[in-house]
Amino acid sequence: MSTHEQGSPSPAGATATALEPRWHVIVLNDPVNLMSYVVLVFKKVLGFSETEARRHMLEVHEQGRSVVWSGARERAEHYAFALQQWHLTVTLESDEAR
Amino acid sequence: MKRVEIRLSLEAVLPLIAVIREVADALSDDLAAPNSLADIEPDLREGWREDLVAAQNEAIAVLLALFDETFDESGIVGFDADNAEPVLRACAAVRLRLRERFLKGLDEEVLESGDLEIESLEEPARKAFMCYLFLATIQELIIQHLDTSILDG
Repeated sequence: MSTHEQGSPSPAGATATALEPRWHVIVLNDPVNLMSYVVLVFKKVLGFSETEARRHMLEVHEQGRSVVWSGARERAEHYAFALQQWHLTVTLESDEAR
Repeated sequence: MKRVEIRLSLEAVLPLIAVIREVADALSDDLAAPNSLADIEPDLREGWREDLVAAQNEAIAVLLALFDETFDESGIVGFDADNAEPVLRACAAVRLRLRERFLKGLDEEVLESGDLEIESLEEPARKAFMCYLFLATIQELIIQHLDTSILDG
């Protein structure tokens, strides 16, 4: 299962980030939202290409969930909120909870 | 600016709009998607929920505005870069609530495919399912014709 890490942290930032747990934005399957809609949302919110968006959409559809982004908590919350605004079922998990 | 207009049968659609309005009322202080906010920082959680509900209400207002007095006379609805995104989101919210409220008894495969004899359903599920399909059709039209406008917006 692939994830997206965005941005290029500085060495100092990388040290700080390494001490903090990674947070994962996970989209769960629902039988209501159209596949084409989910693909559009992934492209719009996460900046995915058509191919990436379709791959994650199919992962959600076939496996029930897909990790669509991983990284710092604040950014993960930003993406979770944006995806929830589009009415996707989203949850956040940290490495510590896994 | 690209604009898509479609003419709808008033006889067919007006009863569905009544269902949409009813569901919209029920969503005025409630989120459509069953998202868990348990992982959100506790001090953020209530504000998060309120912001989501406010955004949901704004989008639903844009959807309902399509079916105003002008629509009652012409049967025409128009989509463009300004309303495509909120209408898409509002359709998703209303469809989720229709499923939750009226269509719980249907298999997920049926909901995903839309492949069902409408006559096999009793009211109010029958009208709810027609509304569910109608809103999906609106979403498909917008995605098909205005995808670029939404992504660029």
